[in-house]
Amino acid sequence: MLKKADTSAIWAIVASLVLFFIGGLMTTVVPPMVDKSWGQPFANADKSKGPTGHLRRLNGLELAGRAVYVREGCWYCHTQQIRTLLADTKRYGWKGVDAPISTPDEFVYDSPHMFGTKRTGPDLARIGGRYDTQWHRTHFRNPRDLVKGSIMPAFPWLFTNKVDLTGYFAEADVIAQKAAATKDPALVEQAALAADLKAKLGPQAANLTEFDAMVAYLQTLGRAKDWREANDYEK
Amino acid sequence: MQEQFSRAEAGSAGTGAIVHEDLTVKWFMLSSISYFFIVGIIALVIAAKFVWPDLMGTTSWLTYGRMRPLHVNGMLFGWLLAADMGLTFYIVPRLCGVKLWSEKLGVATGILWNIIILGAVVSLLAGRNKGWEYAELETPLSVLVVVAWLMFTANILMTVAKRKYQAMYVSIWYFMGCLLWTAFVYLTGNFATMFTTGVNQANLNWMYVHNAVGLIFTPVGLGIAYYFIPRASNTPLFSHKLSMVGFWSLAFVYVWTGAHHMLHGPISQWLQTIAIAFSVMLLIPVWAVVYNLLITMKGQWHQLRDRVELKFLMSGVIFYLLTCFQGPMHSLRTVNAIVSKTDWIPGHAHMAVLGAFSFFAVAGTYYAAPRIFGKNLFSTALANWSYWMIMIGGLGFFVTLWLGGFWQGWQWNDVSIPFIKTVIALKPIWTVRFVSGVMIFAGIVMFAYNIMATALGPQSESAA
Repeated sequence: MLKKADTSAIWAIVASLVLFFIGGLMTTVVPPMVDKSWGQPFANADKSKGPTGHLRRLNGLELAGRAVYVREGCWYCHTQQIRTLLADTKRYGWKGVDAPISTPDEFVYDSPHMFGTKRTGPDLARIGGRYDTQWHRTHFRNPRDLVKGSIMPAFPWLFTNKVDLTGYFAEADVIAQKAAATKDPALVEQAALAADLKAKLGPQAANLTEFDAMVAYLQTLGRAKDWREANDYEK
Repeated sequence: MQEQFSRAEAGSAGTGAIVHEDLTVKWFMLSSISYFFIVGIIALVIAAKFVWPDLMGTTSWLTYGRMRPLHVNGMLFGWLLAADMGLTFYIVPRLCGVKLWSEKLGVATGILWNIIILGAVVSLLAGRNKGWEYAELETPLSVLVVVAWLMFTANILMTVAKRKYQAMYVSIWYFMGCLLWTAFVYLTGNFATMFTTGVNQANLNWMYVHNAVGLIFTPVGLGIAYYFIPRASNTPLFSHKLSMVGFWSLAFVYVWTGAHHMLHGPISQWLQTIAIAFSVMLLIPVWAVVYNLLITMKGQWHQLRDRVELKFLMSGVIFYLLTCFQGPMHSLRTVNAIVSKTDWIPGHAHMAVLGAFSFFAVAGTYYAAPRIFGKNLFSTALANWSYWMIMIGGLGFFVTLWLGGFWQGWQWNDVSIPFIKTVIALKPIWTVRFVSGVMIFAGIVMFAYNIMATALGPQSESAA
């Protein structure tokens, strides 16, 4: 049958597309249909089933930080996945507690995904809560001041580039009205996040830098699973 | 069979010979070698940043995170794909025995391609990065890539449709496969990803990343190798049947393997296992092709001494064999647990894209340039130098990163070693990599200069 493709261009085209689409569909369209956990946000209240907690969406400041993370290409050198290997669970654990293995339901709100392929620097999947703001400030100004031998670049412009959240808060007001009307849980969560952020920032909201956004984002990483104490930073 | 000539050598053409204009080939050839040189500078800079991390470090658009995507996209799309497209425009009309369907459309494609690459340079350095590997370009630029690709596809398919010889040589299947698969693979990686999140998106992204190499650069590269190896050595291809086995098994097997980029990671175990099984099956298309090309050269190996194209082509075949042996082995869970995410992987990836497919493209350019410009090659000695510089520099690059990456993987698996110690341990490796990069770049400069000097040099006597 494939012999016919020697002389017929149409045959060659049809056959190569059919063969391609078998594998193409089986590995892209089918898996999320079979494996529902790819699309369901993590939520667990039962301690016997592993770490408890739930995955929340990011607020406006955290999203701005995530955008900086994407823009500066942090993901070329830092992965965000604790693999099913002792090398990962032990290395990225905290005070003798192993880091929980990353599961698909922890990444449902991520776009673009930031799993990464290369670890020139350490994995960041469970970095949230590990270092405080002061540590990050020193580290982003010059990583080598804190970690001797590091080859990470300095990012001084994060401290001068402003983050403007007025657009985000305006949008949040519209979302809050819709949430009150529809009771859609996704909208209710987003409205609550915006309200919390507004209360927390107060007048500081007008004076935020990309550094603040970046730290806010980093502190969320890996915290859907409640596996370590909050505010227990590395000294 | 009718004789075929390029317009520039048409002086010696008899009546009734086919004369190819080759204007499109010139556009793609000259722009691709320019980007090979320009992006080569970027490559050197980012290699240097591993050795001197403060180098140019406080200017945002000169940091590693901005320059790395420019290096990857520039080399993949500015150099390699453009060179491959140019050679496709060279080969297909000759295998079909007709002129290219439309030179005007071809030149327009070449101009559009340059606009895309220049747009990519500016937008990537400005930090406008979509955040997906190999698909960093902003959406308007990705749309232009699709438009350019459709123009390219229409031109080649129409040329094939009008062909004078009914039987299609194996290169033509590979080019047609590349045209069609690329369209779908590119749409998946750049557009389908927009409608998904998390692991689902990552799965589509890796399907694209893997098949950008497997179903874009592999088929077009092999089409080039299948054409130029018999051409440059003046020897018929060993086996038509074996080339069929290689092509059709590639068409079926390659697309299944994307999930092997997330082995041990947060993606379904059964999908990982499928990806592993098909990754191992990749040995079938690879060994069929490599055996065919190696046996074609039986009794002809002495020609490598005199013909620089053959040096590049046959070294490329060996690198293809090696890189496609590594790939299936990395996908085994035990091996993956050591090498994944380490510096081994850039060593592997560079052997595929530089060692195998760029070698084929360089060889094709060395073969085609004197013909389309109707000139003698500027310098055979310089061409040989370019081979040895890229070859030795390349080997230094690949082997050093394998050793370093393997060592790094072992260190990561010993959790008593702090992470920063595993970074410091690799510094000598990165220094050797930089030095190897300088050699590769020197080879690129010699290659680009040689082709430019050929294009601008005096007419050869046979064409006058």
